[in-house]
Amino acid sequence: MKHEFSSSKSNKDNGLKSIFCLVVFFFFLASPLLLYAQNAKINVSVENASLKQLFAIIERQTKYTFSYRDVEIDSKESVTLKVNKQTVATVLRDVLTSRRLQYTMVGNKILITPRQEKMIMRQETPKKRVIGKVKGTIYESDGQPLIGATIREEGTGVGTATDVNGVFSLSIDKEYTTLLISYIGKKDVRQRVKIGANVKVVLEDDVQNLKDVVVTGYQTISKERATGSFTKITTDQLEQKRYSNLSTMLEGEIAGYNASSNLIRGTTTMNGITNPLYVIDGFPIESTRYDQYGRLEESVPNLNLEDIESITVLKDAAAASIYGARAANGVVVIVTKKAKKNKISVSFSSSLTLHPYYFYKGRLASSSDMIDLEKEWASSNPNLQGANAATYAQSILDNNAYTTQGIKAILNYYAGNTTKNVSDATLANLASQGYHYYDDVAKYAKRDALYQQYNLAFGKASDQNNFMGSVSYRNNKFNDKYSKDNSIGFDLKNSLDMTSWLKFDIGTYTYFKNATNQTFNAMSPGFTYMPYDRLVNDDGSYYTSTAASRLSKSTMSIINSNGLYNMDITPLDEIGRNLNNSRDFINRVYGKLGITFAPFLKYDLMCQYEYAYDKSNTLYDKNSYYVRNMVNSYATAGMSGTVYNIPYGNIYYRENQTSKAFTFRQQLNFDRTFAEKHNVTALFGQEVRQTKLDYDNNTLYNYDPDMLSFSLVNAAILANTYGLLGGGSFGQNNIAYNRYTDDRFISFYGNAAYSYDDKYMITGSIRWDRSNLWGTNSKYQKKPIWSFGAGWNIDRESFFKVSWVNRLKLRFSYGIGGNIAKNAAPYMTASYSQNAGVNALQGYIVGRPNPNLRWEKTATTNIGVDFSLFNNRLNGTVEYYNKMGTDLLANTMGVPTEGFGYNTYMINNGKMRNRGVEMTLSGNIIHSRNFDFNATATYSYNKNKVVYVNVKAPVYYLQLDYPSAYPIVGNPYASVYAYKWAGLNNKGLPQVYDGSGQATVDDPQTLDAIVYAGTTEPLTNASLNLMLRYKSFDFSCLWVYRGGHKLRNTDLPMLSNTYNSALMGYAASFAPVNKAITNRWRQAGDELKTNVPRALFPENSDYNSNSSTIYGYADINVIDASNLRLANLSLSYCLPSQLLHKIYLSNAKLQFNVENALTIAKSKAAKYMVGGYTSPNYVWGLSFEF
Amino acid sequence: MKKNIYIYVCVALLGFTPLLSSCSGYLDNVPKGQKIPTSLTDFEALLLSEYGVLCEDVTQAVILLNDNYVSPTYLSYYPLWHANYFWDNTANRVTLNKSDESTYYVGYGAISTCNLVLENTASATNATDLQRAVVAAQARIIRAMNYFMLVNYYSKTYNASTASTDGGVPLITSAQVGASYTQPSVKGIYDFILDDIAKALPDLPDKAATILQANKATGYAFAARVYLQMSDYTNALAYANKALTINNSLFDWNAYYVQYQQTLDNPTKYQTIPSPMGYTNVENYNFRNGPSSYSTSEKTIRVDRGAKFEDGDTQFKCRWKLRTVGDQTYYYANLSGRFNYGGMTTTEVYLIKAECLARSGSVSDAMSVLNTVRKTRILASKYQDLTAATVPEAIDYIRRTKDNALILTIVPFCDNRRYNLETAYARTLTKTENGTNYSLAPDSYMWTMPFPQGAIENHGNGTITQNVDK
Repeated sequence: MKHEFSSSKSNKDNGLKSIFCLVVFFFFLASPLLLYAQNAKINVSVENASLKQLFAIIERQTKYTFSYRDVEIDSKESVTLKVNKQTVATVLRDVLTSRRLQYTMVGNKILITPRQEKMIMRQETPKKRVIGKVKGTIYESDGQPLIGATIREEGTGVGTATDVNGVFSLSIDKEYTTLLISYIGKKDVRQRVKIGANVKVVLEDDVQNLKDVVVTGYQTISKERATGSFTKITTDQLEQKRYSNLSTMLEGEIAGYNASSNLIRGTTTMNGITNPLYVIDGFPIESTRYDQYGRLEESVPNLNLEDIESITVLKDAAAASIYGARAANGVVVIVTKKAKKNKISVSFSSSLTLHPYYFYKGRLASSSDMIDLEKEWASSNPNLQGANAATYAQSILDNNAYTTQGIKAILNYYAGNTTKNVSDATLANLASQGYHYYDDVAKYAKRDALYQQYNLAFGKASDQNNFMGSVSYRNNKFNDKYSKDNSIGFDLKNSLDMTSWLKFDIGTYTYFKNATNQTFNAMSPGFTYMPYDRLVNDDGSYYTSTAASRLSKSTMSIINSNGLYNMDITPLDEIGRNLNNSRDFINRVYGKLGITFAPFLKYDLMCQYEYAYDKSNTLYDKNSYYVRNMVNSYATAGMSGTVYNIPYGNIYYRENQTSKAFTFRQQLNFDRTFAEKHNVTALFGQEVRQTKLDYDNNTLYNYDPDMLSFSLVNAAILANTYGLLGGGSFGQNNIAYNRYTDDRFISFYGNAAYSYDDKYMITGSIRWDRSNLWGTNSKYQKKPIWSFGAGWNIDRESFFKVSWVNRLKLRFSYGIGGNIAKNAAPYMTASYSQNAGVNALQGYIVGRPNPNLRWEKTATTNIGVDFSLFNNRLNGTVEYYNKMGTDLLANTMGVPTEGFGYNTYMINNGKMRNRGVEMTLSGNIIHSRNFDFNATATYSYNKNKVVYVNVKAPVYYLQLDYPSAYPIVGNPYASVYAYKWAGLNNKGLPQVYDGSGQATVDDPQTLDAIVYAGTTEPLTNASLNLMLRYKSFDFSCLWVYRGGHKLRNTDLPMLSNTYNSALMGYAASFAPVNKAITNRWRQAGDELKTNVPRALFPENSDYNSNSSTIYGYADINVIDASNLRLANLSLSYCLPSQLLHKIYLSNAKLQFNVENALTIAKSKAAKYMVGGYTSPNYVWGLSFEF
Repeated sequence: MKKNIYIYVCVALLGFTPLLSSCSGYLDNVPKGQKIPTSLTDFEALLLSEYGVLCEDVTQAVILLNDNYVSPTYLSYYPLWHANYFWDNTANRVTLNKSDESTYYVGYGAISTCNLVLENTASATNATDLQRAVVAAQARIIRAMNYFMLVNYYSKTYNASTASTDGGVPLITSAQVGASYTQPSVKGIYDFILDDIAKALPDLPDKAATILQANKATGYAFAARVYLQMSDYTNALAYANKALTINNSLFDWNAYYVQYQQTLDNPTKYQTIPSPMGYTNVENYNFRNGPSSYSTSEKTIRVDRGAKFEDGDTQFKCRWKLRTVGDQTYYYANLSGRFNYGGMTTTEVYLIKAECLARSGSVSDAMSVLNTVRKTRILASKYQDLTAATVPEAIDYIRRTKDNALILTIVPFCDNRRYNLETAYARTLTKTENGTNYSLAPDSYMWTMPFPQGAIENHGNGTITQNVDK
């Protein structure tokens, strides 16, 4: 152990030293000079090649790069040419002239444009009086002057072009005007100028038209040279939606992404983290937090969503394995916007979202249905038939065994407390109430939610500096009347080119959130309600559920004789009490240093520090039921009256959580083309990462929020107190709770790619991760995570002569990704606490020793084809993958005789496979001046299969209730299991088949009676996004389909079986239930017509406590969850630019969206269970650019 | 200018390098909130885990004796409960025992922790040899108590003539993952228990740090219980006397009843009163929980079971009160808090001593010991000294008091099984419910519980043979 560690340490030191030596070495040797090939001579020999292929050949032989629009050259006839040692100019002139194209050389760039026989623009023919001129120079982004850029005065058509020095001059007739500067292959720039000005404008490359790039977070590579599976969403795609959260931004855009479970390409781990790794501007951001119970939760990171420029999702090993031990679930790389050059840009956007409150009552039995059931209870109750009926009825009333108004009205009659007429009138009145309770909830306890959002972004960039800032403010009012939040996020970043070889970036993101959460829910008010109950009485006063209506006479007498606090519940008073307030603060700051030793060798050093502080508190009001109940629970009878071991007063709960993360990375990048055809890119780096999480909460009793005073409680006594009312389990968590983690990682990684002639690519990556989570003695940490990839650009081959195929690429990759399970350790661990009863330290074994604990590994094979057809009108990708997870941390059943009968423990022996196909197809179906029609479809199919686990549910119900803890080999990991339905028997009791195939009304309680009923993870995820533009109107709709999965219907037409303390057992409970209960079995023979069980009550001899269980577990209640959703409908309008310039705007857009407009599912039950009966969001948005 | 920046950058990089290489212990840190137990204190604390080590769940034994009241809905929910409650010969309890595994799982859980402690005491740090010996001895007593409970639950009663061939329970002595075990005979298990007691006794302290840990008297008291179960009355008496020499206090139930009489005698108010049967009861040699490791209330008991208490039994009056809800009538439990169902108490040892004396023919001495106990729990107004003319009469009296005083623990079950072997004392249990008569013969196979299915199926590194067919 000792030896192992010391040797690895010296390895690490050596690694560091060698990086350092390399860095220093290159500092002094490298010459930051570039040699451009001037007047380069080329050899070309092609037959029936496209122009694109020809340009590619020239690019490879020279330092020139070509810029062109595919549409303008793709239609040109093919080239057959054989030249030796000709200059580029000669070759181009020969080839282009006949094809009505021209070229312009600027530096090492060659621009191909349609030949303009004459400049169509009217050169300075002022009709009005000229009062002055505007001069300027147009540059390329690399600082070279741009020749031939057109400059027009917006609204007049007066224009000119730049000369060989990039200079233009234009006469204007007013004091201010707006220039529209454009150039093929560059993004247009609008610039407002004053007469006499001398402007400098930089035109940025229009990335859409030039080579696409993918950003991995570690490097930016051209899409053509990539061998991995990358999917990119650009700003244009994102603009159609409201920026509500990251997962809705990805929904429907990324084939293979399931927004409902936040999974990319299925579940790859059983006990590790399942959600993808998020990377923002090169840094991984993990938003891990403790919850109140000490469990770790992962969530998506926070950022100003409007700032997102692009999102790249890395799906396979070649793409993601550079992220090492955390990459198996895929990586989401987010790049934020940068300022445009030489321009102050200010943009503002705002949206207002309305989410009306809606509760789907249609599925529930009405008041009259419930009264029917209550009458049926009475008529089928043998105790109400005989001579003892009155005594029995009074006993049930006295003990409040049933608390609903209907039953009480019936029992009062039997007990002789009321007449039959009064009882019947009460029942009739209750039956006529419809859905009174739900109507009252909607009216008094809920509201329409309103979400507001305001974003302001501003930036400026010069040749040396790029500054960008944004502010995003949100104000949300939720459906719960008292729940709301406010948040504001600031994002600032600056990039500075200190010298031609030294670049410095700094950025920071700060976020504040202030939220109030209602803790009382009128839908679960702490007492059983029926549809006929209410929240407001007829006289307008608030309805109160009195203690006497719920608690037995005996309990009431204990409360009264001991003077305990009132146990009434008035929902509308409770609703505004005990509000939870939380404040979150997040700050991230990063710095990056980039050094260019040579054009082919760069060094990056970057650091990020993240700090988050979340605090929340709840002041439990002393008037609230929560406090009254809590105080009463620990009240005991003392010698001289009642002893309140918890003093009566407000209870103050506070929670604090601090998260700190530090990332340091240094990396050497190499990119060079040898002998004109051999391109090698490589990077090598080192990363150190640390995350600390510190959580605590504490509770103060009898707290005075004004005096800040509180009472000391005797926790040791409370821990052993069992109150007068028979409750109380006071623990340490009722006083305070602490959690702390400190995760550390050191990683070394490298990545290399070689491409020949831009036709053939091979890539490889390797990464070692070491971490403290696995202790100091893990030989397994030395095994690297690696990947290999290859690509072939078929369209570049000379033999490939399909004119309608613009691009065709074949990719293959294989590699390994890892995953982490944070709650496992290689050694035996124990946890300790104080035993309050005997005041001594007690401990228990948390984890059994697991010396073979290691990273989970997921090997992914990916085969992909990328294509562009018909002048790039149709673009697509088809991919097949096979992800094989091995060494997955899987549950293994503890051996009961070894003393771990209830425990499973985790060892690296699970195997699980995900196979699938993904397809993305994007078509520019109609493209004209006024009308555009685009359609994008994604389709993915994923099949998950557990290949090996060594665990079997020790008890049947664990298989049914916790299927993921006991996966079954051959089935998908996310499965639902059920009993096989055997119909109702002739008494109307539900039956299932037991292990031997016999129908039974009892719970079979054996594993062999349990059948696989489907997977809960959709097999198919598909989407269709249609975009229609007519002039300034844009319309789009996004359909999202999930299919092939199942879910257990929990909204059943049967009264559930709950523990009834008065009856000392599990009994049918009267509570709101599914409407289909009206189709229940009522008489023999009905079993042939219905599957809805008879309403049976424990007093009836036919009653079986298992009925509700087996019905709930029956496979007829596992339903097809396939659903099609109209996830987003969007209509937007861009205001005409003439109008805008008068009000100094360059761009303005109005937008209206409907989110979750429609859900179509196979059945009403499925639609309800997948959330199809919620109301849509209506979004109004506007955005301006100045 | 350019040169200067080169130098600055070099200095900056040089600054980073030592920063990183100074992190030699960077990956050494261990997560907080948990630790690898190393010191003796770390291991000793494991024995104090009430949830993991100090629980004894004998639910089915209590149900078989019909000592507690089980509601019809429970019986319809748990077929195994129904089979034992109604002494149903047609039920196959082996296959029904799928979700009633606590007795086995909790028992072997405690044994595993004891094994772990025993494996590590020798190498545990920060301790003297004396301290190590104490912790090891206490682990042995807890382990022996669990084996005693298991062998009396899942195997036939100890019968000197057949014990060496009757199947025992799995014997595991290691806490390693994948440890092997055997299933010796009943005698084999008793030998192991006696060996553990013998090895522990010299090292047990006169006074333990907490009531959760065994002291010397606990060892003697438990030895008395084991020898009694083996019908070795001589040894049982000797150890009972040793235990009583150290502690012979009896709890005054009469006084406790008077203290809460107003609440207890109110027939309509079911207010709980604190349990006096917790950690601090004067009768405790040691404290072990029943099925739950937290504060709770007792099981309700059957009306016919209530009738078996002596008239004026204040322990009964303190613990239960008649209640009717709807169509169900039972004795409702008054006490709440903790209950020493699993530990050794003076009452039990007094009654062991009484039986041993009676068995040896000293009937009057036996009755005198019994009366000592009765005095503390029979109301003075109802109390009369009991006398017996014969040994069986004396034993019947002793047995009544013991069954009542130790109700809901393993003891009445063990005693019943033991008496069932003797024709003089064997009894058939009977009851009438809804007009049907039910009975359980003393030689019924049902007195032996089947191992739970989970243990049979996931048997680990050994095999388990059921000691009962159904």
